[in-house]
Amino acid sequence: MNDRSTLASAKVLVTGGSRGIGRAVVLAFARAGAEIAFSYRRDSAIARSTAQEVAALGRRAYHRASDAADPTEAARFVRDAADALGGLDVVVPNAGIAPTTGFEGVEPARWAELSSTLLVGPYATVDAARPYLRSSRGSVVLVGSIAGLRAYPEELPYSAAKAGLLSLARSLALAYAPEVRVNAVAPGWVHSDMTRTLYDSPRGRAAIERTTPRGRWGEPDDVAAAVLFLASEGARFITGETLVVDGGEQLAWRVGMLR
Amino acid sequence: MFDLSGRVVLVTGASRGIGRAIALELGRAGAAVAVHYHHRADRASEVVNTIEGLGAAARAFAADISDRGQVDALLRAVGEWKGRLDGLVTSAGIFRGPSVEEVDAADWTELIATDLEGTFRSVQAALPYLRRSDQAAIVTVSSVLGSHPAVGGVPYQAAKGGIEQMTRALAIELAPAIRVNAVAPGFIRTDINRTGHEDPTFHDQVARATALRRWGEPEDIAPAVRYLLSREADWVTGIVLGIDGGIALR
Repeated sequence: MNDRSTLASAKVLVTGGSRGIGRAVVLAFARAGAEIAFSYRRDSAIARSTAQEVAALGRRAYHRASDAADPTEAARFVRDAADALGGLDVVVPNAGIAPTTGFEGVEPARWAELSSTLLVGPYATVDAARPYLRSSRGSVVLVGSIAGLRAYPEELPYSAAKAGLLSLARSLALAYAPEVRVNAVAPGWVHSDMTRTLYDSPRGRAAIERTTPRGRWGEPDDVAAAVLFLASEGARFITGETLVVDGGEQLAWRVGMLR
Repeated sequence: MFDLSGRVVLVTGASRGIGRAIALELGRAGAAVAVHYHHRADRASEVVNTIEGLGAAARAFAADISDRGQVDALLRAVGEWKGRLDGLVTSAGIFRGPSVEEVDAADWTELIATDLEGTFRSVQAALPYLRRSDQAAIVTVSSVLGSHPAVGGVPYQAAKGGIEQMTRALAIELAPAIRVNAVAPGFIRTDINRTGHEDPTFHDQVARATALRRWGEPEDIAPAVRYLLSREADWVTGIVLGIDGGIALR
């Protein structure tokens, strides 16, 4: 996208695009005039409804089920998406997994599940997309988390994997430069299916509101706008960056918020 | 996307360089732009004319940003212009690159008074107006040298590092109403860097050290400022966004 003025007719791949942040990213790019390919893990009814929303905006939405945590499947989805759209300009490996593990006796299987979903899968997606992005001078936006920037003993493997993902953004930025830009967003507490349990408990919801300087939960659209900006021509000199979208939560260490 | 129609934004140091590019971009986004300048009235009125040519409102305002009384007067005049102020971009600044032994008291005072205190005073004087806006946002301008050290120009680097922490502290203290973020440009081809980018050896060294293999242009910085001021960035506060072509990744 480095040589285009807008995202109109850009070819955009989003993994985990049927719900939550991924869905908001898909719709934001569609509103900007892009052609979309998105994967989803299981729920074809929800995916169909997201695809219909894209179609209602007059844009194309190639979509099919694909396990973004499986490197072989991830690479196959990238090839199918590039075939369907006729290339790729923007890749957003967004597929994630809910963080609920704690810090005691984390099973090797859980480590494997989190690292394959949050590290191996995104890497496989980006690596398979590299030739397409090189020829389009495109860009990648990884979806990290502020859990990767701060201590989260309640979510140890998730937090460690997200820290790894933010590191991946920096290294890939250098590896793919100058043709392809690679950046990340690091969302805070965003209201979506993944965080519904906490959001639906009155105490949990209020606790996040209290520790977030902006005083509210994030919405998927808040994150989608940041992804869109990083993928746009306006971000042509930005690479290897992490754009934190968290209502200021990463600033709010305990003493700092005292009055 | 990133529309600023109906907003009034002051850009300090807007007659040249990065500030000028920001002012023009905000005008393109539909904002009414207060174009602050210090010496170059001719350049400021060129910026005003260009913004008006885009169909947006603009007016030039003169002030020495290192002088508290002048900053207060500047903000009063800007506040009266449209009767409101929604955004502030503190782009005014100077650069000096002396070695530690060469820094005299006057150099230190001038640099800190302009880059660091000038930023703080602008924010402070803007607050009475920003507090009345329902979508107030501030963007400060740091530098890659605000977090990555280089030989020469300790006062400049101390000031820019100070601006980054000031940004985070302001974001906390002015929350939830007013968002405060910073951009941290890398090496940009502006007047402030003229000796650098006009020296062929240094020019090539910087370009080679930059992942994207080039110097930045003022126009590379402006869209990020537009995004950070926009409603779409409503949940973004306290960040320092590097816009440096990946110069500091390794």
